[in-house]
Amino acid sequence: MSAEEKIIEVDNLKKSFGENIVLKDISFNVKKSEKVVLIGPSGGGKSTLLRCLNRLEDDYEGKVLFEGENVNGASKEKLRVLRQKMGMVFQQFNLFPHKTVLENITFSPIKLKLEAPKIAVAHAHELLKQVGLSEKAAAYPQSLSGGQQQRVAIARALAMRPEVMLFDEPTSALDPEMVGDVLDVMEGLAKDGMTMIIVTHEMSFAQNIADKVLFMNDGMIADSGTAEYIFKKTNNTRTRAFLSKVM
Amino acid sequence: MFDFLKQYYPVFVEGTAQTIIISIIGILIGILLGLIFVMMRLSKIKVLSYIARVYIAIVRGTPAMIQVMLIYYTLSKVLEVPQIQFLGSGLDRVIPGSIALGINSGAYTAEIFRSGIISIPKGQTEAGLSLGLSDRTTMFSIVLPQAVRNILPALGNEFISLVKESSVLFYIGVQEVTAQALGVGGTLYDFVPPLIVAALIYFVLTFILSQLMQLLEKKMGRKYLQSN
Repeated sequence: MSAEEKIIEVDNLKKSFGENIVLKDISFNVKKSEKVVLIGPSGGGKSTLLRCLNRLEDDYEGKVLFEGENVNGASKEKLRVLRQKMGMVFQQFNLFPHKTVLENITFSPIKLKLEAPKIAVAHAHELLKQVGLSEKAAAYPQSLSGGQQQRVAIARALAMRPEVMLFDEPTSALDPEMVGDVLDVMEGLAKDGMTMIIVTHEMSFAQNIADKVLFMNDGMIADSGTAEYIFKKTNNTRTRAFLSKVM
Repeated sequence: MFDFLKQYYPVFVEGTAQTIIISIIGILIGILLGLIFVMMRLSKIKVLSYIARVYIAIVRGTPAMIQVMLIYYTLSKVLEVPQIQFLGSGLDRVIPGSIALGINSGAYTAEIFRSGIISIPKGQTEAGLSLGLSDRTTMFSIVLPQAVRNILPALGNEFISLVKESSVLFYIGVQEVTAQALGVGGTLYDFVPPLIVAALIYFVLTFILSQLMQLLEKKMGRKYLQSN
């Protein structure tokens, strides 16, 4: 087991909101270029788990290591560097409405002095091309459809040249006809070898893209394995019950 | 009825200038204090939040006139301001007076800022943080610009009421418009015409101010709604 292969290690992660225990005892690893998909019923702790990885959820027990570095023990400055390497895409897109599409993408790399403005802008145009929105650089987010906004949000996260991309139900807030465009972009990323951790309810997408599927229920990883195993072979009754309802 | 203006208009001009200056200083100090106290109020450090709450509660719960007098009499003991005359009033009155206006306005401005900040969805902050931005950059570059746009109408109201409330500085002898009007009234043995002139001056000032705020609102709003 080589340490450099594992990009994320989660050990005995526990998280509660007051009395409510949301994550009971979570352990798993993510290898470089691996696509890990989290599925399971709402309230099972999928999003909370994802948000613990870049510490948008704080105050948890256990260990989260990113490239061998302790995320939950990191200082504020260190945490910011770690977050730069973990791109995140949200259900509600969370684009900055007072900035143009281009500014949304270039703001962080320029502000954090990771790239010269000229290079950041050139990179942004490349990314917009990649997500199929080259002509929208000067637009404000309000003028875009949900699917377009989410693709810009993906480009914004990619602009930081992350090692890992975290997707928190990226298509759940979209009109059905917009979902395909966003999933296409994600599939492209997967083909390029991006390490991805995805919370989703799109089961056929999960089945296609996942190297590993974690079925989360009631704050625990109730079942896990390859897509083939989870979707076809598992004997876990809860996994089967869940899949029969959503597929 | 307004013949006295031929003789006394310089007094009104001087008073108007004084009102404009104390209002501008008051508004600027109010914005600065508002920003400082809203950050304290929303801070995770409980002591800071508590101090901000106390400040806001005291300022909102006591009359502006008493605040102005208290600040003037306190400051005049500890601050050595030379008695230079400025637009008909001593700087030893103008400076504490404008500071008092700012301290008063700061409490209201802090609450207006707070309403704006909490109106911005949490996802905006999370998006900023997830990109590796600091808390400060996220607040000042992502949250506040959106908040300010949302609160411009409320800020405009606050500025307008500050211009009118600046008349309380009359009580500490600042020769602003109201004081000058009362002075002229005393000389004429007729208070109504000079007070009408003062009222008109306030109306014109606040009208101009509200137009400026509307312009600013339009300017900031247009950017958002622009489509490709």
